Amino acid sequence: MMSARIGLGSVTRRVAFAPVIGRNQIALRTLILKRGVQIQSLPPSASEEILNAQRLKRPSSPHFTIYQPQLTWLSSIANRATGGALSALLYGFSLAYLVAPDTFTSVNIVEFVAGLPDYLKYTGKLILAAPFTFHFWNGLRHLSWDMGKLLSLKGAYRAGYAVLGATAISTVALVLM
Amino acid sequence: LLRSMLPRTFASATGRNVLRSASQVRASSTTQYVPGGPIIKGTVNDPIEFPPPSRTHGSYHWVFERLLAASLIPMTAAAFVTSESSYPVLDGLLGLSLVMHSHIGFDSMIVDYVHKRKFPILGPVMTWTLRTAMVGVLVGVYQFNTNDIGLTELIAKVWTA
Repeated sequence: MMSARIGLGSVTRRVAFAPVIGRNQIALRTLILKRGVQIQSLPPSASEEILNAQRLKRPSSPHFTIYQPQLTWLSSIANRATGGALSALLYGFSLAYLVAPDTFTSVNIVEFVAGLPDYLKYTGKLILAAPFTFHFWNGLRHLSWDMGKLLSLKGAYRAGYAVLGATAISTVALVLM
Repeated sequence: LLRSMLPRTFASATGRNVLRSASQVRASSTTQYVPGGPIIKGTVNDPIEFPPPSRTHGSYHWVFERLLAASLIPMTAAAFVTSESSYPVLDGLLGLSLVMHSHIGFDSMIVDYVHKRKFPILGPVMTWTLRTAMVGVLVGVYQFNTNDIGLTELIAKVWTA
């Protein structure tokens, strides 16, 4: 049988109707900073800024650094990288010819390349041929996807291996040309 | 039900038709209430704004890009087997197609990696740098093909140097 009263009703009534001196002591104790916590008063509208600032500092979990290497995405990024590199070469040469046509004449370039040692020539051919052939064959693979073919996982993988093989063969053929 | 889900993606579409609560009207005219909550622009909670549907930037662009890439195949093969000084038109076409193909490729890289939604200054700067570079490259390619031996001839000569 519950004979005792529960709740804070009696306590708050005691505090509210306490003598004035008692109440001031409580008030004084809360005024004195017991723990030295600094409280800064902000309007409610500042919460958005604080939240956004926090969100900018939040780290993101590793994603493409931990994704398992697969032929699908590796060949995709390699297609983009080789295309970008070849285009950068094209753009660089064209802009260089625009800016300094007398330095970059075909005669100068052919002479410069002819004067290089053989191993450098082969290395240069390799560096130029491999991205070009890969981009070419993978481009064919991409175009076949655009036509709706080879869109299954098996198809994409088989075509991917075919692209790698064709790249190897055509690179060797080009370097030896 | 379907129409009530659409407005969330196209923010500007249905603001007028929805009853606004008193607090929203008092808050500001830029907060727009749609079922699901107010859309407060400028925060990280913005719903993504899709570009207006346009065939020029959508399906026609896609088709053009694929046709251009496909046309590069016979052109490259032809450039391989012929001597370019006899077919300057082919050389010019190949140069133009290569530059356009490169431009579309670079543009998609910019859109993927430095979109102006996340990079409001760097994105447009890169886009306009690319466009300026394309103009320069087109002029350079034209000059080279006209005043000098042309791209395919240069590659052929350098390859067998």
